[in-house]
Amino acid sequence: MYPEAPESAPADEAFPADAWIDGARSTGDLEEIFDHVVVGSGASGAVAAHALVAAGRSVAIVEEGPWVRTREFGDGVYGAFKRMFRDAGAQVMEGRSYLPLLQGRCVGGSTVMNSAIAHRTPEDVLDEWAERFGLGAALSPRALEPHFEAIERELSVRVVGDEALGENNRLFLEEAAAEGLPARRMRRYENGCRGSGRCFTGCPHGAKQGMNVSYVPWALARGARLFSSCKVERVLVEGGRAAGVVAWTPGIIDRRKGHRVLLRARRGVLVAASTVQTPGLLRRTGLRGRAIGEHFQCHPGVAVAGVFDAPVDMGTGATQGAESVSLRRSHRIKLETLAIPPELAAVRIPGIGRELMDRFEEFAHVAMWAVVVRAEAEGRVGAGWGGRDRVKLSLARADVERARKGLALLARMMFEAGARELWPGVYGVPNVLRSIDEVRWIDEAPADPRAFGFITTHLFGAARMGVDPAASVVGPDFQTHELEGLYVVDSSVFPTNLGVNPQHSIMAMSRLAATRIAESRTGRSRPPPAHAAA
Amino acid sequence: MTLTRLERRWAEAAMVAIFPGSVEAGLAGIGAMQVDAFLREVMRTLPFRAALGVRLAVWLVAVAPWFMLRRFATIAGLGLAERERVIARLVASRSYAVRSLALLLKAIGALLYAADDRVRRRMAPPRPRLAQLRGRAPAV
Repeated sequence: MYPEAPESAPADEAFPADAWIDGARSTGDLEEIFDHVVVGSGASGAVAAHALVAAGRSVAIVEEGPWVRTREFGDGVYGAFKRMFRDAGAQVMEGRSYLPLLQGRCVGGSTVMNSAIAHRTPEDVLDEWAERFGLGAALSPRALEPHFEAIERELSVRVVGDEALGENNRLFLEEAAAEGLPARRMRRYENGCRGSGRCFTGCPHGAKQGMNVSYVPWALARGARLFSSCKVERVLVEGGRAAGVVAWTPGIIDRRKGHRVLLRARRGVLVAASTVQTPGLLRRTGLRGRAIGEHFQCHPGVAVAGVFDAPVDMGTGATQGAESVSLRRSHRIKLETLAIPPELAAVRIPGIGRELMDRFEEFAHVAMWAVVVRAEAEGRVGAGWGGRDRVKLSLARADVERARKGLALLARMMFEAGARELWPGVYGVPNVLRSIDEVRWIDEAPADPRAFGFITTHLFGAARMGVDPAASVVGPDFQTHELEGLYVVDSSVFPTNLGVNPQHSIMAMSRLAATRIAESRTGRSRPPPAHAAA
Repeated sequence: MTLTRLERRWAEAAMVAIFPGSVEAGLAGIGAMQVDAFLREVMRTLPFRAALGVRLAVWLVAVAPWFMLRRFATIAGLGLAERERVIARLVASRSYAVRSLALLLKAIGALLYAADDRVRRRMAPPRPRLAQLRGRAPAV
């Protein structure tokens, strides 16, 4: 029943052969029935599916993108963009500036290409959600604790070891310690990381515990079925409740080519399509709540590169292995290391022509550190041209000022750590800074998002959870206010952003939701008793 | 969306100026790579709005000599050094739209150029063992 695979093969080679239906190879329309249909196979969808199937429910996972297996990962960025990223990596948020927005569009979602960083939801954030949104009983630290523990155990969460630390991370930690800035090695989902620095294009060793090599194949092994390359058009509504989904295999634009995939759900549909795609799916289903698509938030980040005399070789070691969260509450920023592949680094290297070529050779001596902002700005996810999802957000002045402050701090740290020159990548600031005194240029840079090379990967809101149906989309039980049996379990429901990497919170909340749904007889999630609040 | 042959020629002329290679370093320029085929492939892959952005970028760079050099020539009609100067000015433009579009060509060219094995070896020489780098880890 199981495909032949060597004992050491990644988990994405070992699952029942009939558990995976590849929509790209479909030969006709399909119709099947399950207890639950889960839309999306990223951090939230995979975990929810696994929790449901572990509770004895029959589950279908529907994923818009393909399943790119570990053995198919290359180290080229273009190939990864084309196969695994939404809009081939060209997705942007529109506002005062265009802000690149990277999202996975494949089995495993963004966990295939992120850095696998595990942070529990900060308690002050949960307190804020309790106070402002009335979620104290539903999302208390006590309620989330067993889910964090289970995920940490199952995904082998561990601190970056010496063997995978790498010079980029080591330099950051050493300098932070010298400055008296509390910093630490990151905790990541990994099992045998070799520090190959290839998180961004998919871990070639199956060591990073993305959903593609963990909860998805584990759920399949327990009886779930995966429908990849199937784009969900809408949730099927029958008898006033969610009764399944209607999806299409590739060729949806020209339906003569694509096939209809109708997946019925006896006990409910869980939407885990991501913050950008979930609002559109709710609207296509006929939901009309005013809060759908509103209150979108993100964590914009910007990096500074420094050239050292000794080799840094940021391609060796954990892609992101060191961080400081000590300024999260006071300054709403997080400092961290970042290694990027040569194709992306080439854009950050200053100059063009001869100057650029000369600097190419310095790449092996470059360290890169980034500041990530818990942005105050709120945006909107709506419908764009051709029914595509469109994200609009303009960073607030305060957000840009915080990024600028963090960038200047990192720049000074880099010079103190021994960098001989810096590439700040800020418009209005010289391309190359050669002394710590010149960091004042960054301090004086315009507080304008168009001056900075922001990028974002952490997305929140747009289907907010709350007790007020006029101001939120789902209730504390994760069920939409408007349609029975329709749940949203991804980071769309987060009332605010976090200030730390969100994957752990997304997974724990999804597991919590799925567990509550599975514990109910009807499939309807039961809100926890009020005394469950911590 | 696809670029016309003329547009691809302009795009390649710009990319050759951005990534000319280095004789001293023994690095070929992007012109020695399959730029035309790559551009066709990229335009097929990108969603409409992004592809439209690439087309705008190509036209911006193509006609930039008209308003920057006051010369009736496209980017492909300039010598390498002049092309480089024109693009450098675009990348440093006060206009966010202009510098973003010019950088878009650099970003697309980088996806091809820095993916080349020879270029990668130059940027990231064979990896030394971590222990050889410094051989120490902080007690943090």
